[in-house]
Amino acid sequence: MPNLTCRDGVEMLMDYLEGTLGSPEREAIEAHVTGCPRCVAFIESYERTPRILRAATAEALPADLALSLRRFLAERLASGDA
Amino acid sequence: MTPVAAIADEELAARAAAGDAGAFEALVGRHEARVYRLAYRLTGSDADARDVLQDAFLAAYRGLAAFRGAARFSTWLYRITTNAALMHRRARRRRPTESLEEYLPRFDENGQHSPEAAELGAASRADDLLDEKLLAEQARAALEKLPDLYREAFVLRDLEELDTSEVAGLLGVDAATVRQRVHRARLMLRGYLSHLVGART
Repeated sequence: MPNLTCRDGVEMLMDYLEGTLGSPEREAIEAHVTGCPRCVAFIESYERTPRILRAATAEALPADLALSLRRFLAERLASGDA
Repeated sequence: MTPVAAIADEELAARAAAGDAGAFEALVGRHEARVYRLAYRLTGSDADARDVLQDAFLAAYRGLAAFRGAARFSTWLYRITTNAALMHRRARRRRPTESLEEYLPRFDENGQHSPEAAELGAASRADDLLDEKLLAEQARAALEKLPDLYREAFVLRDLEELDTSEVAGLLGVDAATVRQRVHRARLMLRGYLSHLVGART
């Protein structure tokens, strides 16, 4: 495979991380990244993005909701609406 | 008698379909927190997530007879929840929001990353640099700005941490399509976080 650009690597990054690339592509990405600090920084932030958003949106079930959900379901099921 | 906690979801679903109210109650108790969290991630607000939670469990109850255990119960319930969230969003006809396209990575004419390396890594410090409450608000706002197809794929794959193949089955698309949507969402969100952090440094 010819030398990759950063753009090529970014395009294939998810497939690379999921392990769906063939070995020529995988090796070409690794060869590029080894000599490219910008790609190293980019990949770090790419990989951390889902983790940051996951932690920031991990809403717990509000305490009152379990009860109100059961009331709602009981009413709807009793009324034959279900 | 087997304790309820030891009974598989699929068996509980079969019992609930046969009229066992306790079995349905057990399924609600087992899944309500995850369904609420998913609904919140897909709709962006507590009020909407509550509506979606109710709609999803009602639809699940109505659909029990059609659930044949072809998929895992949790996958099937996630599909119902995702559809309920989408219907809810459409019914509300949200005003169009700003696009995240402008936060996609940029390259120079040679295909090299254009900004400095320090900026390229900025998104990875968002959780250090932003206060928790602000970050939660911004995270919800960012998800809202994604196109529906990207939001669904990203939330299911990256936030709920389902396998790519499970997300593909749930959304009715192939795995390559899921990867492409999740990748685009990650790129936009990464750029958006960088922009938030960059504005504060």
